[in-house]
Amino acid sequence: MEYNILQSINLEDLSHFKSFTDRYFSKRYVLNVNGIENNDIMLMFHSNRITLISLAPSHFFFKKTDQYKINFSIGNIDRLTNSVKGKGKKGGQMLTANSVICKIEYDDGTMFAIPCCMKGTLIEVNKELTKNPELLREQPDSNGFIAIMLSSIAISDSTKSELLNHEEYVKTFNS
Amino acid sequence: MNDKNIFNFCKQAGCCDTCSLRYLGLKSPTFYEDIKKSAQRYKDEKTEVLDSEKPPDDSNKETTDDCDSPPPAKKLKPNLCVVCLGILQEETWNDSFNMVKEVLERKKYTSNTFACALSSPIATILREKAMALRLEKEILDYYSNIVTPLKEAWKWSFGTKLAPVIDKKLDSGAVSPLLITFSYDYLDDLQELEILKKIAAPLFESRRQQHKRFATEFTRRVVEQALQNVTVDALKAASESCCMAPVDTAAKCVSVVCTHSPLYLGGRYIKLSRDLPQTPWILSGKRVMPSSVQEIIFQPIADLYGMSEAEAETRLKLIAAGREDVDVRCLGQGRPFAIEITDPQRQLTTEELEKACKLISSTGDVIVRTLVPIVKDDLALLKKGEETKTKTYEAICIKLTCSEFDQIDPNAPITVTDVDLKRINTYRNTPLSNKARIEISQATPIRVLHRRPLLTRIRHIIDVHATKVSAGTYVKEWVHGELGRTRPALAHILGARADLLALDVTAVNLAWPPY
Repeated sequence: MEYNILQSINLEDLSHFKSFTDRYFSKRYVLNVNGIENNDIMLMFHSNRITLISLAPSHFFFKKTDQYKINFSIGNIDRLTNSVKGKGKKGGQMLTANSVICKIEYDDGTMFAIPCCMKGTLIEVNKELTKNPELLREQPDSNGFIAIMLSSIAISDSTKSELLNHEEYVKTFNS
Repeated sequence: MNDKNIFNFCKQAGCCDTCSLRYLGLKSPTFYEDIKKSAQRYKDEKTEVLDSEKPPDDSNKETTDDCDSPPPAKKLKPNLCVVCLGILQEETWNDSFNMVKEVLERKKYTSNTFACALSSPIATILREKAMALRLEKEILDYYSNIVTPLKEAWKWSFGTKLAPVIDKKLDSGAVSPLLITFSYDYLDDLQELEILKKIAAPLFESRRQQHKRFATEFTRRVVEQALQNVTVDALKAASESCCMAPVDTAAKCVSVVCTHSPLYLGGRYIKLSRDLPQTPWILSGKRVMPSSVQEIIFQPIADLYGMSEAEAETRLKLIAAGREDVDVRCLGQGRPFAIEITDPQRQLTTEELEKACKLISSTGDVIVRTLVPIVKDDLALLKKGEETKTKTYEAICIKLTCSEFDQIDPNAPITVTDVDLKRINTYRNTPLSNKARIEISQATPIRVLHRRPLLTRIRHIIDVHATKVSAGTYVKEWVHGELGRTRPALAHILGARADLLALDVTAVNLAWPPY
């Protein structure tokens, strides 16, 4: 082969092996949301300001091994029926920092709510979680993401700069 | 209705020969190519004398009929036509000719034909209508809809005389690629149009109220609208001269613009770099990558046409059959593309195009083997190809976890097994009769989601191994599954997590360029 693909990249370079989210997203963290200890949320910002919401690894959720379901019905709003139209993503549900994106309901009847931590429009929720809730536990920063949202440039930029970045987050938990 | 009567009525009202012929409704270009000869047929003796004032040789000027023009000015300038404001009068043409010559000397078009277009002062519309209404009133059975448009008469008379001056053949705009546009300004234009506000008061009042929507007070369209149902009496009431006041200063040619219709080149590019975007990548005014395929291809073309960098940016356009990411190479025969060249002075020669290809390829990042002249219609093939063509990719993928089909200890090192290969090479989720082995549904990838609608598209992987994929498939997403948003992904087929390390387009299956 004239231009061998195997010789086209340096496989010693570990940056090629970064995960999908680490390659394209920049992670931010909100700790102890609403004063609840270890209610830690992770927002992953794509360079085009599309944002994924998930739980931070330090969330108390990961300490519990009980069976659970994920409920996307919040009051009388069903997040699963969210739909957006066109380039402008018209018609998506409006979210504020306090809006609950979904609830985790354990078999023993206890539950907790996951706030979305940023004002924006809901683009899509990860429907796969309703079929396969374990994904959230197994791959919170990839296939187990909770939802995709989109904010204005101003809001995403300011949220991104205000929140804890990955290095700061790691430091917080290592000290 | 007698042609001689009409002609002479026009002459007496102050029209030039050409305009008088226009009011006769003469529509054959040949009539306008030699105005003097054509006019001769309709002139009676009285007007003939009047017309001979141009070579100011004789003394017996009988100017009795020329009621509107002050006699003393005549020695210096011709009687300016009260309808065309001098635009159709040969005596005024020298300035325009000189302006064209100057532009053409600068731009050096090689086209041996040209077409010409006129932008005349709006007052000519008003004056033309006024004259037509007078004719309708004075001459039995005269219908003003026969009047030959100013533009046409001008093209035939002015254009014919311009041809030898610039040594090019006059042709229609549909045929000749070189278009020369003449814009005329008339000093009293707006002032003369003022009376329309009296004649069609409600129309202009409503426009004034919506001044944000109608930025200009008088446009050709609104003037025509205002004059639609006007009568000669209304014009007379509004203006003493019935809107045909003698012309002091002729309409003046203020600009001559020459443009050549675009030329197109077709070719295919091979991209060998994983750090090269297709088009300049500029993020909030700052360059992300120093160059691009587009800039590398444009450079020698711009040089051949003597374009500056800024000029090349506006006059050259890259039209490609799809695009690949910055970090994806495009190999094999390369990706089909075309270049649109706006206002080219000439077609490039085969030798020049060969040299351009050599220069492009000398950069090492992009190879273009041939560039050939194509026509605009060929672009449809390129655009259609974007939807229908198939592409072949080659990728290095990595298996990140043990497969659920692996029969081995889950803690053993992860290896690609024969079972994995067999699964990839035989997996099918479509009927056997289907040409494509795998049908996938793919949500708009996150990386383009901010500017595209969220849709789930069905795409086909025709074959994996020689990994052939149908148009519009985001291959990277197919490999890793993009958080489950593309399924089934390679990872699903493997039953393990997978990712992509490097991607090449090895063939874009489209017959291009067409020649």
